[in-house]
Amino acid sequence: MVQWRWFWVVLLAGGAFAVTPEDQGREIFAELDRRNSGYQDYQVNLRMVLRNAAGDFSERLLRIRQLEVPSDGDKLLLVFDTPKAIRGTALLSYGHKTEPDDQWLYLPAIKRVKKIASKNKSGPFLGSEFAFEDLANPELEKYDYRYVRDEEYEGRDCFVVERFPRDRYSGYTRQVVWVDQIEYRVEKIEYYDRKLSLLKTLTVGGYEAYTRAGYWKPARMSMLNHQTGKSTELHWGDYRFGTGLMEDRDFTTNSLKRVR
Amino acid sequence: MYLIRPSLLRVWLIILIGAGLPATGVTQAHQRLVFGSFGQPTNAQRWAANVGVELDVDIQVQERREADDLLFRVVTSPLHDDELRLVRRRAREAGFQVWRLTDSASEEPDSIGYATVPPTAYERTLSAPRDLMREFDVDLGFQTRSYPRDGLDGQSRFQPSISAMFRYRRYFNDDRDSFTIRPFGRLDEADSERTHADMRELYVSHVGDDWDLSVGFQQVFWGVTEFHHLVDVINQTDQVENIDGEDKLGQPMINLSLIRDWGILDFYVLTGFRERTFPGEDGRLRRQLPVDDSLVTYESGDEEWHIDGSVRWSHHLGPVEFGIYHFSGTNREPELRPWQLTSGDWVLQPHYALMDQTALDAQAIVGDYLFKLEALTRSSQGQRYAAATGGFERTLVGAFGTRADLGIILEYMYDDRGDDATTVFEHDLGLGTRWRWNDVADSHALFGVIWDVQTHEYVLKLEGGRRLGNDWQLFVEGRVFGGGYQPPTEPVEAVLESMLDTQNKLGALQRDDFLQLELTRFF
Repeated sequence: MVQWRWFWVVLLAGGAFAVTPEDQGREIFAELDRRNSGYQDYQVNLRMVLRNAAGDFSERLLRIRQLEVPSDGDKLLLVFDTPKAIRGTALLSYGHKTEPDDQWLYLPAIKRVKKIASKNKSGPFLGSEFAFEDLANPELEKYDYRYVRDEEYEGRDCFVVERFPRDRYSGYTRQVVWVDQIEYRVEKIEYYDRKLSLLKTLTVGGYEAYTRAGYWKPARMSMLNHQTGKSTELHWGDYRFGTGLMEDRDFTTNSLKRVR
Repeated sequence: MYLIRPSLLRVWLIILIGAGLPATGVTQAHQRLVFGSFGQPTNAQRWAANVGVELDVDIQVQERREADDLLFRVVTSPLHDDELRLVRRRAREAGFQVWRLTDSASEEPDSIGYATVPPTAYERTLSAPRDLMREFDVDLGFQTRSYPRDGLDGQSRFQPSISAMFRYRRYFNDDRDSFTIRPFGRLDEADSERTHADMRELYVSHVGDDWDLSVGFQQVFWGVTEFHHLVDVINQTDQVENIDGEDKLGQPMINLSLIRDWGILDFYVLTGFRERTFPGEDGRLRRQLPVDDSLVTYESGDEEWHIDGSVRWSHHLGPVEFGIYHFSGTNREPELRPWQLTSGDWVLQPHYALMDQTALDAQAIVGDYLFKLEALTRSSQGQRYAAATGGFERTLVGAFGTRADLGIILEYMYDDRGDDATTVFEHDLGLGTRWRWNDVADSHALFGVIWDVQTHEYVLKLEGGRRLGNDWQLFVEGRVFGGGYQPPTEPVEAVLESMLDTQNKLGALQRDDFLQLELTRFF
């Protein structure tokens, strides 16, 4: 009897502490989230290079301001500088942890702020291979996770984790993410579309550490669309952290109209 | 506590220009710690000083060349194993992120940190090009309007014009203050009234922490619907530019915005009135008689110097976004009264009455539907009426398996004056499709029809555009007017009577179908 009792105790304890791949995957992203929190705000310049399968390319310049909102999703303001025809066009996004994000587009030619339907964020962003949902801060609560395996990628040990968007308006059914095991940086993402086939691959590089807390930010992202052969590169530069952006002053629909 | 008192500081900041890592051969001190890498040397130096002061270690900035790009890496001088462990521990305790760097990439990979900063991963960080921060722009537009038929009064079928817009904005005081000027002008070959210039914007603005104040000529748009801009009231319509009511004249004003948790509260003092522009005798897209601006009359004794005012509260709650305002002042929409000149010619005389208007605009996003509503109640010249327009736009992302988005728009326009309404949108249905191809040229188009469900008059509407390269844009616009009948051009009694026919408000436009091409060059 004594032996049996111990058997059950061990079995139950083991069951209670067993880590499922789901927990493991979520924990990896929770850690990634922790390491990226506390930055308060940052500003960054962005050069977007669009290439088609024939090698033609076009370029656009944008600026991004992001504000950390600990109680909810982050706020983001994106301003276009070129092409000149859309100069001053600005996009404001209020990220939310569980609800769909709120987004507004300001069109300077007609002085009009337009609300964007949440489903639109899965469409191509600015004619690029990025969807808006690829650029928005991925809040932890927006996905279900599953740890798959450890794998070396580009000489670094990575966790390979699948994540499944909870938002039914997401353009994806599944994403496979390679996360660096030491620094918890996203190195690569494979995106699977609604037909379950591989749509795009994102590779991220040129990470640099900024500020004392060491926020790793990439200098380069490249998104390849496997179905069209088109690709888009993002070149990030001049990150500035803790620039004193304010919610009421810099992230309202009013600030869209006068954004510099 | 590992922070060292300033008296003990020993900071040697060595900047090695143009040098890679010194070859160390087989020595004991063959490893370095990396405290971060930067695209900008000043950032790296600042960081190096910071680290050096806090940890009391020798810190260097190494310049590393990757192809044509430069990377500035903040590293310690070469360290023995024991030193490395000590510095690393102190660094971690002081809150610095730190990585181990071995001098030779061929060495065993570091089991604790990174072996090397991957050389291919670095790309020159983008500094804002000077051009990006340029404060002025110029747009030059080349436009042609082609009408398949002569006008009612024999106006010409072809109307070319050129336009220019200049934009300059200057910021002061850490971007808190700004000055903006944006004049616009057009030279029209056919219509002398369409040859005009306007100060679209000329204002100074101050941004406080939770308030904005701006003074000068500005543009303010309110509204959400596609076909009829019912509640938009601050700026006068520049009607000669376009009949869709989206081109506006600059309005002199003082605007104070208060940004609060419960929304944005705007106060407007409008310090002068702008008269609506109308096509001249030789212009198209006008009524049976031309409008004569010189005969303008006002209800207010202050005429165009009457001070108008408005207060607006706007907010968003969950998926709903709304604005409510009250406006008191001169009606932007004039009453047009037939008038006989001493020469015997008949013209229309614009009369601007006073009005009080309370209005609401709201939109809500539900899934892929965007619901829209605009409503107002207006009291003017002893009469009160209400009007509303609303509907939805549904967006199909990736329509028909392409990367294009297709929007389907359905709106209804209502005016409780019915046939007696002074607008043509009194009992009309608007249906449209909006296409966005999501291509590099940002191609987009809107096809729409506005149909009067009672009189069966209709307007077909086409708008589309795309960029051509980086500096040009092509814009196409077209209208077809139908369902009405062509009014008589003489005798004058018949003309005047035809203008009162509420079943044929679009009559005068029946010959004015047009296709407009506009090529804009951006400088």
